[in-house]
Amino acid sequence: MTKMLVPYPENCTGCRFCEMACTIYHEGKVNHAAARLQVHRRNVKLDFPSVCTHCVSCAEDCCVDACPTGAIKKVEGRVVVDQDECTACGTCVEVCPFGVMRMEDKAYNCDLCGGDPTCVKFCPTKAIVYEEPKPEQYEKVKKLLEVEG
Amino acid sequence: MKGYCGKILKVDLTKSKPSVQTFDEKHARKFLGGQGFAVEIVYHGVPKGADPLGPDNVLAIAGGLFDGYPVPTGGKVAFAAKSPATNTLAESIMGGSIGPELKHAGYDALEVTGKSGSPVYIFIEDDRVEINDAADLWGKDTRVTPETLKKRHGWDVKVACIGVAGEKLSKIACIDCDDRQSGRAGLGAVMGSKNLKAIVVRGTKDLVPADPKKLLEIALRYQKIYEAAPSFIEDTKYGTGEFLGWVNKEKGVFPTRNWQESVFKEREKIDPYYWAPRYVTKNKACFSCTKPCGKLFEVKTGKFAGVAIDGIEYETLYSLGGQCGNADVESVAKANELCDLLGMDTISAGVTVGFAMELMQRGIITEKEVGFPLTFDNASDAVPKMIEMMGNRSGFGDVLADGVKVAAKRIGKGSERYAIHTKGLEPPAYDVRGMKGHGLAYMTSTRGACHLRAGFYAPELVGKFWKWEGIDRFSTANKGYMVSQTENFMCVYDSVGLCKFSRGFFLIAKLPEVIEAITGMTYTEDELLKIGERVHNMKGAFNVREGVTRKDWLLPPRILEEPIVDGPSKGSKISVEEMNLMLDDYMKARGWKSDGTPTPEKMAELGID
Repeated sequence: MTKMLVPYPENCTGCRFCEMACTIYHEGKVNHAAARLQVHRRNVKLDFPSVCTHCVSCAEDCCVDACPTGAIKKVEGRVVVDQDECTACGTCVEVCPFGVMRMEDKAYNCDLCGGDPTCVKFCPTKAIVYEEPKPEQYEKVKKLLEVEG
Repeated sequence: MKGYCGKILKVDLTKSKPSVQTFDEKHARKFLGGQGFAVEIVYHGVPKGADPLGPDNVLAIAGGLFDGYPVPTGGKVAFAAKSPATNTLAESIMGGSIGPELKHAGYDALEVTGKSGSPVYIFIEDDRVEINDAADLWGKDTRVTPETLKKRHGWDVKVACIGVAGEKLSKIACIDCDDRQSGRAGLGAVMGSKNLKAIVVRGTKDLVPADPKKLLEIALRYQKIYEAAPSFIEDTKYGTGEFLGWVNKEKGVFPTRNWQESVFKEREKIDPYYWAPRYVTKNKACFSCTKPCGKLFEVKTGKFAGVAIDGIEYETLYSLGGQCGNADVESVAKANELCDLLGMDTISAGVTVGFAMELMQRGIITEKEVGFPLTFDNASDAVPKMIEMMGNRSGFGDVLADGVKVAAKRIGKGSERYAIHTKGLEPPAYDVRGMKGHGLAYMTSTRGACHLRAGFYAPELVGKFWKWEGIDRFSTANKGYMVSQTENFMCVYDSVGLCKFSRGFFLIAKLPEVIEAITGMTYTEDELLKIGERVHNMKGAFNVREGVTRKDWLLPPRILEEPIVDGPSKGSKISVEEMNLMLDDYMKARGWKSDGTPTPEKMAELGID
């Protein structure tokens, strides 16, 4: 099976190096809000990464189904936004349960750095691992994200 | 000017008015960032003789030059003001993410002046700056406060705040961000005196380094170096207290029971090798740190059940542990949590409790006055209890709430003799009677007794550092020169925002490469050390201007008169002659007058006006 990013909230220290490495690698700048993954630092007990799962764990509501123009497609197991077809309507950003579909001029998401993810390279504690998808780990993050208050 | 925002945000709380000041490359080259920027702001901004707790004091906050960029362990932020504890220019460096966030909002530094008429918090979102009512937050602890603000403004904002101790102007109050603290020298009281409960920041702007590819390559290289470093592997497992056993047993310089002893015989019970496997549920890191020495320490059962802290740090194992004769690690954790929540520096708070315990041991204060047995034997219960009273200024806690110097003055009856401090700041966890250069560093530190202004404990305990080998901790030879050099070294470190635990790997000579990747500006090692020297001289000159000179630097009587009673350093002390010899050497090495005044020639050479 195709490898994906797998988050391990229990290992995350909240250092946010992955976010910085992500945008430096892709855009040559640092901007956490633009990163294709997010680190949540909620309180002393709770730090965790939220990554793009490429909808391996989304049954419905996921960006591919929600996109009104069909610009978001599954290509070889990965979620890819066709930049020509994207109208920047923002629907995908709203429906992504992990909050990692990003929007600047057009929508974009994690591209796994072409098979050698930069975030994984920099994570010192194996809080993000590039391996076979583990749905139970995605569920863990989803639950943590639901606790907003 | 790449890598910098080029802007300082100024908020005048008296006039409720924010403004922005720009700076150019010349300023950047003179002060680098972080501590350099913060010290410059306080040096030029605070008028002579200003009351540290009055509206004229200036609170400066500046992220280090590396803040916001992917440099492993490079996310430190400097807070600085005139200290209410020492009347000197004091900075306190922390790993909270407010420094990087300020940069994303577009500011290399924030300068807070004046005083609000009622409790407020500053809210910064890029160019939008608001001064908001904080009446509902006043009296709230350092966890409820950020939680409330995050619910209001969104989970992604960064919050620096004070607790009740800061509101009540405790001279040992700290500032908290992300469960990390700017602990030393009472900067929390400076915020409290301005009626400033919190600073809330959201930054959404890009930070663009001069050479992103190079920066990523450097980051990966140091990441690998750190991963393989034995000391970092141990730190990641056991936290900063990893070397407690070594300092205590092998070196015999772990101050115990208010410095009456230097070996804590029950050390094993508070040693991380004991507690890490039992209580640590997760590792924690500062912003951009890839070697997490922070530990989530949780107590799940017993009378202290529910405690959850980022700790326990080495210094706190001393101050709330050995210093108070407290061998109950759960009690140490509880007292640590109370310090964090109430917003008090664990070092100063613990040293003060230990001081009071010795006073009760000697009958100078009584159980009747205090309300319960504040004794070394009763430490497990007494330490958390007294910490809570100090933070709230209740009962006898009010007497102790401003640290040992003020407490001794209030108590009198010869208690001054047992107040261990220099310049009014309680000392950290190294008995300098067995490490004489570090003793000099306690005196020369511009913010009072400190292990981090020179970081000289490491060279003396290990025996080598940087350009020196065979360092003898019992000798005074060459220590004046070495301490002056390591102080300059540390000023550079705090200006780029690197964690001092990296200093063995990341010597100053290795910094120009990183600075160039971020800013495109080139530096030599000597140029950087010159900046360090400039920053230190500014602090020195400020302190002399405020009347704090060599006469105020001296070591307390116990260190000068009572030799270490047991262990590997038994019999050692720093004599008055040795103290004066080291101070004379230091002044010479600095090019200062013998009373600690930077000469006009030195000031001119460094371009300080």
